[in-house]
Amino acid sequence: VETGVIAYKFLDEGAVAPFTGFRWPAANGGPGEWSEASSLEPCRGGVHACRVRDLPIWLARELWEIELDGEIRELDRKLVAARGRLLRRVEGWDDASRDAFARFCLRRTRLRVGSVPVLSGFVGDIEDFRIQGRIAIAAFAAARAAELRDGPAAYDAERRAQADWLAARLGLEQHL
Amino acid sequence: MRLDRELTCAQVVELVTAYLERALSPADVERFEEHLVFCDGCSNYLEQMRLTIEVTHHLREDDLPPALQERLLEAFSAWRPA
Repeated sequence: VETGVIAYKFLDEGAVAPFTGFRWPAANGGPGEWSEASSLEPCRGGVHACRVRDLPIWLARELWEIELDGEIRELDRKLVAARGRLLRRVEGWDDASRDAFARFCLRRTRLRVGSVPVLSGFVGDIEDFRIQGRIAIAAFAAARAAELRDGPAAYDAERRAQADWLAARLGLEQHL
Repeated sequence: MRLDRELTCAQVVELVTAYLERALSPADVERFEEHLVFCDGCSNYLEQMRLTIEVTHHLREDDLPPALQERLLEAFSAWRPA
């Protein structure tokens, strides 16, 4: 795909990559420093980032806008680029938004499976996850409940609805 | 992740060493990491494994007290795969 793409990246607290532990040079009022990948191989090397539609799969504590450059590969659930730099933290992804997102997942699950005996337990589970602040599993459980009731396409549709909610709430733009 | 690509917690535990040794295929790494995003238990387990490897990496044979060395050797010699 084209270079100079704006995408998004979920990180743990302190701009730390969840899987590698890499601490990203944070953007403080301006773009952070470029980070170059030694190789470009999905899940092994490269700067990994999300389109809006990928966001619900990779939820974490901090959400950042990231600029990707050089060779960029577009995969099913992510983008992988030769280099990238953080542009700004999406400040709207805060405790209030995380809770509102979990409530969104809860509402949809209640409507879909709240009266289905073998699946209604998902509603209570998601409410518990919300209270515990475990947003990623709340979102996953909502998609799983949808899948169990209506099949794999419903899982994908639920993830799309979650992505749409995040984009609308946080004012994210779909650049790809 | 969808059921057709889901890894269970038991599978994640079995794959932890391969993940840390970068021996999984990219597709399996993605499934593994997708699981970690929502599973606190497996994330904790992975972190414990990382720490264990880091700590034991610095151990030398001489660092073990003889009594502990003996107990470990006994345990290993008595161990049989299930």
